[in-house]
Amino acid sequence: MPLGLLKYGRGSDYPFERQPDLPGPRELKKHYDVVIIGGGGHGVATAYYLAKYHGITNVAVLEKAYLGGGNTARNTAVIRSNYLTPEGVRFYSASVKLYENLANEFDFNIMYSQRGQLTLAHTDATVRAFRQRAEVNKHFGGRTEMIDRQSIAELVPCLNLDPAQLPVLAGLWHQDGATARHDAVAWGYARGATQRGVELHQLTEVTGIESAAGQVTGVVTNRGKIACGTVIQAVAGHSAVMSQKAGFPLPIVAYPLQAMVTLPVKPFLNPLVSSSALHCYVQQTSRGEIVIGGGSDPYPLYNSRASLPLKESLIASAVDMFPFLSEMRLLRQWAGITDMTADYSPIMGLSPLKNYYLDAGWGTWGFKATPICGKTMAELVASGGEVPTLIQPFTLERFDHFQQVNEMGATAASH
Amino acid sequence: MSPSRLEHPFGQLIDRDTPVTFEFEGETVQGYAGDNVASALIGEGRWLMSRSFKYHRPRGPLSLAGHDANTLIQTPTAANRLAEDLMAKDQGTLSGQNYLGSLKFDYYSLLDRLGRFLPVGFYYRAFFKPRGMWRFWENVIRNAAGLGVANLEATPRYTDKQYLFCDVAVIGAGPAGLNAALTAATGGAEVLLVDEQELLGGALTYHRFTLEDDSRAQTLKALSNAVANHDKIRVLTGATCNAWFSDHYLPVFQGDRLYKVRAKTCVLATGSSEQPVVFRNNDLPGIVLCSGLERLMMHHGVCPEGPAVILAGNDDAYLTAITAAEAGLSIAGVVDLRSEPDDLALPAALSELGITLYQSATVYEAHSDKSGAQLGAVTIYPIESEGKVGVTPTHLECRLLAMSAGFMPAYQLACHGGAKLAYHDDKSEFTLTELPEGMHLAGSVNSTHDLKAVCADGRNAGRGALRALALETDNDETVQCERHVNHPWPIFKHPKGREFVDFDEDLQIKDIINSARLGYRDIQLVKRYSTVGMGPSQGRHSALTTARLIADATERTVTETGVTTARPPVKPESLGVLAGRRFHPIKKTPMDQRHLALGAHMIPAGSWRRPAFYGALDHRAANIAAEAHAVRNGVGMIDVSTLGGIELRGPDAAEFMNRIYTYGFLKQPVGKTRYAALANEQGVIIDDGVAARLAEDHFYVTATTTGVDRVYSEMLRWNAQWRLDLDIAQVTSAYSAVNVAGPFSRDVLEQAGCNIELSSESFPYLACREGMVAGIPARLMRVGFVGELGFELHVPSLMAQTLWDKLMVAGEPFNIKPFGVETQRLLRLEKGHIIIGQDTDGMSHPGEVGLAWAINRKKAFFVGRRSVDILMSQPLKRQLVGFTLSPSAPKPEEGHLVLRDGDIVGTVTSCEYSPTLAKVIGLAYVHPDDAQPDSEVTIRTADGVCVQAPIATLPFYDPGNARQQL
Amino acid sequence: MKIMQCPLNGPRNISEFVYGGQVEPMPDPQQCSDKDWASYVFYDNNAIGIVREWWQHAPSSYWFIAERHNASDDILRTYDPGELFSERVDFTTGENEP
Repeated sequence: MPLGLLKYGRGSDYPFERQPDLPGPRELKKHYDVVIIGGGGHGVATAYYLAKYHGITNVAVLEKAYLGGGNTARNTAVIRSNYLTPEGVRFYSASVKLYENLANEFDFNIMYSQRGQLTLAHTDATVRAFRQRAEVNKHFGGRTEMIDRQSIAELVPCLNLDPAQLPVLAGLWHQDGATARHDAVAWGYARGATQRGVELHQLTEVTGIESAAGQVTGVVTNRGKIACGTVIQAVAGHSAVMSQKAGFPLPIVAYPLQAMVTLPVKPFLNPLVSSSALHCYVQQTSRGEIVIGGGSDPYPLYNSRASLPLKESLIASAVDMFPFLSEMRLLRQWAGITDMTADYSPIMGLSPLKNYYLDAGWGTWGFKATPICGKTMAELVASGGEVPTLIQPFTLERFDHFQQVNEMGATAASH
Repeated sequence: MSPSRLEHPFGQLIDRDTPVTFEFEGETVQGYAGDNVASALIGEGRWLMSRSFKYHRPRGPLSLAGHDANTLIQTPTAANRLAEDLMAKDQGTLSGQNYLGSLKFDYYSLLDRLGRFLPVGFYYRAFFKPRGMWRFWENVIRNAAGLGVANLEATPRYTDKQYLFCDVAVIGAGPAGLNAALTAATGGAEVLLVDEQELLGGALTYHRFTLEDDSRAQTLKALSNAVANHDKIRVLTGATCNAWFSDHYLPVFQGDRLYKVRAKTCVLATGSSEQPVVFRNNDLPGIVLCSGLERLMMHHGVCPEGPAVILAGNDDAYLTAITAAEAGLSIAGVVDLRSEPDDLALPAALSELGITLYQSATVYEAHSDKSGAQLGAVTIYPIESEGKVGVTPTHLECRLLAMSAGFMPAYQLACHGGAKLAYHDDKSEFTLTELPEGMHLAGSVNSTHDLKAVCADGRNAGRGALRALALETDNDETVQCERHVNHPWPIFKHPKGREFVDFDEDLQIKDIINSARLGYRDIQLVKRYSTVGMGPSQGRHSALTTARLIADATERTVTETGVTTARPPVKPESLGVLAGRRFHPIKKTPMDQRHLALGAHMIPAGSWRRPAFYGALDHRAANIAAEAHAVRNGVGMIDVSTLGGIELRGPDAAEFMNRIYTYGFLKQPVGKTRYAALANEQGVIIDDGVAARLAEDHFYVTATTTGVDRVYSEMLRWNAQWRLDLDIAQVTSAYSAVNVAGPFSRDVLEQAGCNIELSSESFPYLACREGMVAGIPARLMRVGFVGELGFELHVPSLMAQTLWDKLMVAGEPFNIKPFGVETQRLLRLEKGHIIIGQDTDGMSHPGEVGLAWAINRKKAFFVGRRSVDILMSQPLKRQLVGFTLSPSAPKPEEGHLVLRDGDIVGTVTSCEYSPTLAKVIGLAYVHPDDAQPDSEVTIRTADGVCVQAPIATLPFYDPGNARQQL
Repeated sequence: MKIMQCPLNGPRNISEFVYGGQVEPMPDPQQCSDKDWASYVFYDNNAIGIVREWWQHAPSSYWFIAERHNASDDILRTYDPGELFSERVDFTTGENEP
């Protein structure tokens, strides 16, 4: 048993640190230097980096429901950087690097588990695309390579390499692929931020954005008005709804994304395994549950209801990949709302409204970017609006100029 | 010897004449047909069935209804099966799970002793220092968690699915559901009645609603007979409705079948979950819910070993005690959390049976017997105030404790539909509100508990369903139910803890409270931090207690605190049944059998399969080279039936073509083909084909194998707006096609018999003709994809195999050789033709890929036109060009990168060794400054080896295009 | 699973239908600004509320228009596109081809 747990054995009613992880409710102040709309992973990460690295602590994070309750809570915690474009790979690789040390930085175990991610290719076209991804990744120092059927069989012996009509031809093995306890990431950031003076206000919904002379001046909430110098919106799932309050649209369409989980079993699967042709990914959590996910719902919807057809097709694919799963039991299915962009890359940085910054368009790739988003958005705020190089390609303006950063092929079913 | 059971009317489900046996944990267990594994085990006095998730504490059944995780056991094929769901007669060898050693002696149970060091969320607090340690600890934790063991050798069984349709789906066949079903059916609706139990009647089959218990048997018999005999009611028993989806779409699981039920309206008569009392060691095997004891006795005739203590938070528990005592179970005492029951006749009834009653008292602690894995005694204390006990204990020896702290509506299905839960302080009960349209509640899920009221409530729900269907019905009855069934605070904190709120996750009172104290105050955060409600029973027995504890700890009301969102499914469901039978349809061309007979290596192409080449995979390169050689020097034939085909007919056909495709088509002469490239609205090239103008008002256009459905669909959508006068039909499957290519292709067609003049003068390159080939009506196009003289023949699919055969025979003198799609890829690469999707990506605009010639920028409009204009007005960022390499250089593979000053500027999209040209040729995106034929680019090949590749002029082969125009 | 009312085929499971994007008037591709064109290509009406959408009944390839609430998923009305597009559309500017 690790020594770290011994202090809890003193038997008192309240065995933890004197200070709770998260402070209780408090009054809103009239003014903050920075207001962050959205208390998900991205919002609290931004607050954390602002406080820790830039000394900006007069910050309020406003969350309409509860901390990390949106897509931070609902995503299936895939962390990877094996994207296709140089812009994407550079960005997500920086995120993976930050993740690796996050538990120790927080002094809070986010259960970061680098198990590797295996993506299966069933067609020549996918083999070509995977080779390109492997090459781009290697170029930026990532550990990604093409592997053959035999290596796949050694890596995941229980995988069916010949699902009907779609034999596996090769795999993209991304050793840096990882998972983590998603909630703990948000809690760790929130804890670190609030300990440094940031205020987290849950059950606080932003209902309006106030501006003057093309510059943001404050926000209106269900608990009253707040004046502020800078606003960051980090409200995955409702980005376009929020931006409209600020007076401009976003090129985003929101789709539900469903996932499901089985009853736990003893560990048998280490890597995260996904198949682009079967539109399915499978991984085992540290509790032993099998998490199964896939593509988005077929039409846009701001609603996290679950559906049967998606469950049937997803489970059928999972059983194609791992036939013995047919004897397992499904415990729960749920959904999140994903803000899809036309090029499957995020929208970050400046907006048409001065000092109103965007952290949006996170589709199915938001969780893995949490640390680097927090870091770069904090830099953007601290510099007074200088967009960090890493996120320049993700500017909202790229759509006006048809300069997309196309990650569609590298995103489909792997998230 | 067969175990003894109670006499009739106990044991409704078992057949006493048919003993059955199975193995559990290496010992033989005897029961009767009709027993489930749990009832058979308890019939033999075995309560221990599993080990808990975190502390590995011994566990036995709680609900006896398959509603808790304490009975999850291991079968040879599956982990985590509920003992109540497994019929004793079907089992071979079973065992417990989640232990190291045996179910009785689990080494992991040391974790229970260490529990004080493992507070709620302990794993967030340690295991990660120094950096990298988590890798080790994670394995330890993963192995200790995880419940059962998956059998990796298991294969999917036969399961199937069926659609059912009804006017009213009634979920739950208890007294409310039976009444609802009868009312609805009598009113003229088609009813589907679904119940988890094998018996109709729900609680009527086991629960005593009143002291006299005079009318229950009669009511049950009358209702179930009426239902069974009603021709408008279909009954599914042993079936679980596991979710409510939009528009009353209900998945019902019965054995290995999934029924997908579409109802017009539904009645939820799903009942309620009895709630445990929270006290120290309330998880010991032998501690059950009152309804669990009743089910054991009434359904299975099992009278567990006494003495028993009954812990009552309501009058119902008294009735359980009376039933049990009458059955012969020794009752050591009834402990009432309240000062007196609502029905003042009950204490007298107990004393008549000689049962001691403890009022305003609670079981404060349970103790195990010597085995450590079974209840041996309880300590009772008087209650001083809410949750607080006095100082004078009473010690009672007992082997069994049945408890009822109240009921929680079985809210799951209603909440799937968006219903909300509100807490009523006066009744200490959650009730459902905000039901979706067409959903009706009846019975205890509707907070109605008195039998008469339940029946009336059921009839009212039936009436509601009739009204929703616009069928006639009479007025609702008045439903009155004053009965209080919930104790407001059946929660007793003990200094030593181990008062379990959530049995699945081993969570005690302090774990819940500490979560809130740590700042995880929202019920969703409590769930996420403590994991309460995340286990297999999904909070069925913990949500109410958790809401009360958190409300108290955070000074909010229970309604404000709420419960976490109910997500489907209600009960864990089989992945095999969800997946169902697997169908993997593929499309085969009419020549498929011929390809197989010729030894083709088949590969998928969209939903089709096609020959990649002919011959063994081991000799891939040689086979392809031989096929290519035949095309270049003799004649080859490829099956191109998978190409999409679309017919456009009508006065506006040319105008429509002109708007859809990038090139001009208005003045395309009849009898000519044109290259047709398609852009999307973002200006990206997404498909291409050949458009043949067969008549002034008739085009036949091909599209890519995988793209044609989308192309066709988009055409229809555009014309739904433009309203042009034409008809658009997809004829991909109606026509099949072959391409006969090579210097002798003309000879082959002539040999086969062709009524079209094939000479270059009368049938030049890019022309199209209709006529007869080998007696088969055909559309012929002279196309040049592979760069030789060639004819593409499109014929009705029914005749395609005959055509193939005849051409093979006709081609014999010319050594005709069939070739596959990989050979075709090589041949077209030699000609520098791009393949959309391989040499283009989701960003490729015409200017980048050398298709500027295929754009007509003078016409008024084509789809994507403005975007193409915008893109082509910008400086090029990359350009697709040809390159060559000597065969001795490391060969780049498709996907390898093109570098410039160490930066990525592009990628290789096609690359092959050309046996014809005796060099490696390829297409790649390069920096525009390097796109000229005298430039060289750097390509990084396998293992990081860079090669310098000179840019080549396209096409690589036959630059003057003389051969295709022969 | 939702039921959708196909104007041609009647009520069907929504899994029989394919979503085809929003019904959006195209700005004059010759006259509008680049920004207006980009807006047409990349921006949808994504405010919460009722949206007008193209849907196709896949087995019959029939396109129609649906008015649907994008948060409640209620389908308010479905109708033949002829109701909205009754006139022949022509693009007049520009020369003709070679």
